[in-house]
Amino acid sequence: MGRFLLVFRLVWSDVRRHPGQAAMLLLSLSVATGMLALGGSLGGATEALYRHTRAVTAGPDVVAVSPDNSAATARTQDALTSDPAVTAHSGPYLQYYSKLKAKGSTSHVVVTAADAEPGAVDHPLVTSGTWVRSGGVVVERGFANALGVRVGDRITVAGRSLPVIGTAVSAATTVYPFAQLTGPDGGPSDYSGLVWMTKQDTKPLAAKHLSVSSLLYLKLRDPDATQAFVSAHRGPTVYANFQSWQFMIGQDATIIEGSQPILVIGSWLLSFLAIAGVATLAAGRAAKQTRRVGLLKAVGATPGLIGAVLLTEYVTLALLADALGLTAARFTQPAVVNPTASLLTTTAGPSTGTIILTTVVALAVAILTTLGPTMRALRTETVAALSDTARQPDHRSRLTRVSAMLPVPVLLGLRLIARRPGRAFLQACSITATVITITALLIIFVQRQVSYGIDSPHLGNLKDAQSRHMIVVVAAALVVLAGVNTLTTTWTTALEARHTMAVARTLGATPGQVTAGLSAAQLLPTVPGALVGIPLGIAFVWPFSAAGTVYPPAWWLFSAALATVVITAALTALPARIAARRSVAQTLSAEIT
Amino acid sequence: MNQFQAVLQARDLLRTHGRGESLVHAVDGVDLDVPAGQMLAVMGPSGCGKSTLLHLLGGLERPSDGEVWLDGRRIDDLSERALAQLRRRSVGFVFQAFHLVEELSAAENVELPVLLAGRSLRTARRRADELLAQVGLDDRARHLPWQLSGGQRQRVAIARAMANEPLVLLADEPTGNLDTAATLDVLRLFEDLRAAGQTLVIVTHDERVAATADRLVSMRDGRLVDDTWMADRRQPVDGVHGWEG
Repeated sequence: MGRFLLVFRLVWSDVRRHPGQAAMLLLSLSVATGMLALGGSLGGATEALYRHTRAVTAGPDVVAVSPDNSAATARTQDALTSDPAVTAHSGPYLQYYSKLKAKGSTSHVVVTAADAEPGAVDHPLVTSGTWVRSGGVVVERGFANALGVRVGDRITVAGRSLPVIGTAVSAATTVYPFAQLTGPDGGPSDYSGLVWMTKQDTKPLAAKHLSVSSLLYLKLRDPDATQAFVSAHRGPTVYANFQSWQFMIGQDATIIEGSQPILVIGSWLLSFLAIAGVATLAAGRAAKQTRRVGLLKAVGATPGLIGAVLLTEYVTLALLADALGLTAARFTQPAVVNPTASLLTTTAGPSTGTIILTTVVALAVAILTTLGPTMRALRTETVAALSDTARQPDHRSRLTRVSAMLPVPVLLGLRLIARRPGRAFLQACSITATVITITALLIIFVQRQVSYGIDSPHLGNLKDAQSRHMIVVVAAALVVLAGVNTLTTTWTTALEARHTMAVARTLGATPGQVTAGLSAAQLLPTVPGALVGIPLGIAFVWPFSAAGTVYPPAWWLFSAALATVVITAALTALPARIAARRSVAQTLSAEIT
Repeated sequence: MNQFQAVLQARDLLRTHGRGESLVHAVDGVDLDVPAGQMLAVMGPSGCGKSTLLHLLGGLERPSDGEVWLDGRRIDDLSERALAQLRRRSVGFVFQAFHLVEELSAAENVELPVLLAGRSLRTARRRADELLAQVGLDDRARHLPWQLSGGQRQRVAIARAMANEPLVLLADEPTGNLDTAATLDVLRLFEDLRAAGQTLVIVTHDERVAATADRLVSMRDGRLVDDTWMADRRQPVDGVHGWEG
């Protein structure tokens, strides 16, 4: 217990001394694990929502969609309902294919003639207002959200103005905009919403000779045996197409199919940035940590205790960041997995597998980035650790020779890079990750937008909008983390190089040259990193692109890369300027004491 | 400029730290004229303001009040950029802790101020070769600082300080980290520099260093309390390395 308390006190005192570094570690790892959890949660998330909706609304196992209400259809439906595998059914319900106008938008609509009292199968859950009654229309919730209509608004269905009396959710159809269960290829057709009206109110639609289909909702004895049931009812005399609940899950998932790769790839890029940031922090603190290890050794601490102190801090912060990321994912998940609101939202958080994955990633980032400096500090002899003379710098004569021929800021910048080439590489990779995402963002944003409405740009494409939202979120997170990393790296470089820069100033380097040198140390790897990011960004998008994918003009991409370099330069300027204005005399005096 | 003309001057120089009850006068009303070619030793107990005075004279710190003149030009009110350019051309620093750039070889350390002055790499190389030969380290040119002894490192630092042929060389406890043999080596170098007409201001605790100076000023509590021109007290140091300026 005493040992535990000692470790805790030492860790806590170190966190209190360096709150900014702890905050930076928390921020970068929280964002990365949150994004990873969100990406991981998308697999199967729609299924969970559909299953929940199906359970609440007594959704059908199979929907038999017949193309008309002819005698042949009636015979088919009789055969289906009399099948011993069927335990219950509702319908048939007629569906009319028409147009709807609301709030200045026009959309294809499927009008279902509903019973005032739902049957044994499919009890749509009224989420606002009431269920169908004469003279009113109930709008499927996802469709209502897209149209922007609420209870009390008036909409025009097939030329008839009606008030919206309710909104509802059902598992007997796929999510908006896939309400038309039978499309040109036999599957759901894009860009239709669903409304319910009383059978009485739909009679005028029949008189208009609109396209019509007849739906029968079936409950099977074995809900998982839908495929066998459908196979048993194939044939030239069967006048129906079948949509199983499993098929609807697959169809519903397509609304977020673009989000998962964006979030998963984004989370890996963010994880890399987190690694780069934490590694820079850990390396920047290595000298202080080594002295701290020397002090602990001098007062009799064992290597095991010292290792525990050094690793516990980062591991604890990583676990805290993981918890924060998972919590953030838990609260943002509903909006991501159910963008249409056509399904009922569950309160289920990230799965156990996702929690394990994010925890492993967070711990790996913490341990991998701190293990090296910790082991080096532990191996250093006590006296050497106390005097911080353990590390002998590398001599990079070729780079030094080349830099000698360049202007002073570049000379200083290159020599700073020579001190920490690994850090320059991480900086380049961070910028590459950022430009990859920006390139993907530009590519996604130049694609042609197909509205769900008819000449109604306000009725946006939810699927594309979802992908756009995700890439914007990922890009914003990457830009913020890359910015934080740039600030951290510049400041760490400035701290580590304070002695060298102070010496350079005694030898005649101006503060401006030192500032430019510190900035150059970040910018020199930034330029190739940004340039490499463009083709890599195109390569990342390529596997997900379809025929006809539009690419932004080259000058857009190069402008984005240039903007990244300029922003990096601006971010480096402040810490570099502060570092360059530090008193030379004080810095050199501090080196003696 | 004859030998009685001051190349470096301080007028009523004041440097304070802190405020209120914690106000400390690190340098308090110092007047000092250093003639060209003079080797001036500044002595005094620890914390008396010797190093601060040296920093003020070299433009590494700004005075709270008073004036500093170098070669007839007032420098205490110059911008940081102008001060840097002034140090580049006119001031060389030698420190107790050597302050060599650890990842650069001895030659590269000496080349650095020449490159910072905007001269070519070839010029910098030639100058480094000359200076390292003069301090007796031409065979150590490619060694990194940690591969050199303390005395060798200080000789590299002196060579570096002389790289741009400064008007004054300011040395802060240059023998503070050295053993006797290395101290003598450094003293011989200073003697050679003095003989070549170099102006030197050396802050030291070491009586052996002070004994080789033309003039000795003593400080206490930030003030000059004694100023003795000691030409007759100067003790010879056996010259080993000839200095060609």
